[in-house]
Amino acid sequence: MYRYDAIDKEMLADRVQEFREQCARRLAGELTEDQFKRIRLMNGLYLQLHAYMLRIAIPYGALNSAQLRKLAFIAGTYDKGYGHFTTRTNLQLHWIKLKDAPDILEHLAEVGMHAIQTSGNDIRNITADPHAGATADEADDPRIWAEAIRQWSTFHPEFSFLPRKFKIAVTASPSDRAATKVYDIGLRLHRNGDGELAFEVMVGGGLGRTPYLGSTIRKHLPVRHLLSYLQAILRVYNRHGRRDNIWKARIKVLVASLGPEGFAREVDEEWETSDKARVDLPDTELARIRAAFAPRDFQTLPATSTAFEAAKSNPAFARFARHNVKPHKIPGYALVDVSLKQPGETPGDCSVEQMQAVADLAERYSMDEARVHYEQNLILPHVKLDDVPAVWKALDAVGLATPNRGLITDIIACPGLDYCALANARAIPIAQAIARKFADPALAERVGDLGIKISGCINACGHHHVGAIGILGVDKKGEEFYQLTLGGSPEANATLGQSLGPALPADKVAGAVDQLVEVYLRERKGEERFLDTFRRTGLAPFKEAVYADAH
Amino acid sequence: MKALTGNRLDDGEAVFASGDRWVPRFADADLFEDDQAALAAEAHAKTELTVVVDPYLIDVIPSDNGYAPLSFRERVRALGPTNKPEHGKKTEGGEAIEALLHAHGAARSKGRIELIRRK
Ligand code: SF4
Repeated sequence: MYRYDAIDKEMLADRVQEFREQCARRLAGELTEDQFKRIRLMNGLYLQLHAYMLRIAIPYGALNSAQLRKLAFIAGTYDKGYGHFTTRTNLQLHWIKLKDAPDILEHLAEVGMHAIQTSGNDIRNITADPHAGATADEADDPRIWAEAIRQWSTFHPEFSFLPRKFKIAVTASPSDRAATKVYDIGLRLHRNGDGELAFEVMVGGGLGRTPYLGSTIRKHLPVRHLLSYLQAILRVYNRHGRRDNIWKARIKVLVASLGPEGFAREVDEEWETSDKARVDLPDTELARIRAAFAPRDFQTLPATSTAFEAAKSNPAFARFARHNVKPHKIPGYALVDVSLKQPGETPGDCSVEQMQAVADLAERYSMDEARVHYEQNLILPHVKLDDVPAVWKALDAVGLATPNRGLITDIIACPGLDYCALANARAIPIAQAIARKFADPALAERVGDLGIKISGCINACGHHHVGAIGILGVDKKGEEFYQLTLGGSPEANATLGQSLGPALPADKVAGAVDQLVEVYLRERKGEERFLDTFRRTGLAPFKEAVYADAH
Repeated sequence: MKALTGNRLDDGEAVFASGDRWVPRFADADLFEDDQAALAAEAHAKTELTVVVDPYLIDVIPSDNGYAPLSFRERVRALGPTNKPEHGKKTEGGEAIEALLHAHGAARSKGRIELIRRK
């Protein structure tokens, strides 16, 4: 894992001290709210419906046990005993006091964390495949490159006042676990025909009011030129992005208006004339970062574990093994999914006790590593198969062993109108109502792989456009209504969902999902997932079922 | 009828104007029958730099034996998040909270519209 050096630490300490003074000046009335707002946002501090919210960056979703324990300590000391993991793999604390914020940032700095660039029109927290370093299908460890981008983009003077916020996601696998097509830049590491490492560069993805999937503007960017090429993209965006209209300011609008080829031409022109050597990572620096992610000291183990197989005689464990245990690149190891989606609970929420339990398990069984998945779950990435039964037991004791990864109850929901000042409607209670309907694990398993994603407004933090069932909260004269979309997918062959029909009132949504599932179970052929059936049948049978009463 | 609301500067809590104070309970809020008086109170609140952030007026309607904000968003602010029964102002219980829970009005929230306009 990457560790901050003396320069990083000094920089963070200075930043905390600076913010401490700025907070004091605000509380004393020496700064107005308009003057202060930008400053607090630059430190990840928002003002929401009930309190301040602190958004803490978790670069590429990677945490060690000390960091997770620190987050638990902060949530227990300064908040109401829990935190909320987001689709950007950040942690949000929803009950923060302004007067405590500098102390919290000081605590975070102790474990090499902060909340810088989790807001504002800059390059936000870099996300990456949460299976990095543990999956057999990656061309390289994407964390190395995500870390390089993190260092380059943090406090980058030229890119700290972009037309709008800017999000980058990195994967190195053909199966996309980082939703790279829905971000401003998606990077996919692969080996080209000559076996050389290269990036496929996708630009202009983004959800929100006008959703787009990213377009590939370069298939084989040699990895050594990553930073100079990113600089070229951001320069073109900085120059031509629509600063005049907040709804058109994201890079996706620029890419759409120039066309991907036109945009690529501008980028190439900028790139060819730039001094690449000044920007690209020197080999020594790349080697330094790479060393921080050196392969772990895995043991040589048999590929199958008798303890693991024997534990499957317990049907509850067997179900957990089917859905929450994923193959590891090293024989005898596994990735263990920690579901933050117990039916009836708030998706993504994690209590102090749960954070501590995961920290303990990471330390004892997973080489001190835990990961945040953008689908609002956690992962223990390096668990010996022999240890999985013990890990399962410990997770179960704190309500973290729900065997539902990828299933209908593994719902993404943004904070919505329960917390967020921008929301139109609530997202969490809708998720709770749906999850309760499918709480029986056997039922959820029978329905199979089905991603429901819910956003409380068109900003789409809940990724509703790429949900197999997407649910968007809208405001009809002040009442909560929900627009359903079907057929979205964030995977490698990503698609945006299609609108099912007129928006439904809140109390009809869970019932409508039930009807959609019934249609799927009736129509499905063989092993088809919901998405496959939908792609084959189209909207018609689903629409008919949900709106039958209306005719 | 209107009430004046904002978030307290030092801890962000949703608060309501009551005389010369800001109080966390909606039931203790001043209710303005007169729009001019409400606007004057709002203008004054905007000068209270060290007390309250972004004060604004909300519409209020009768409900049960009391009153409630017309907009659902404002009722969530006055009650706390609906996903956690154990958090927020609603935990206090009592008649005033029931009046908020049973209110049925709906209107777009001026607080949200203002926020988006200023963004
Ligand atoms: S989608 Fe809207 S309501 Fe949900 S967190 Fe984002 S801004 Fe808030």
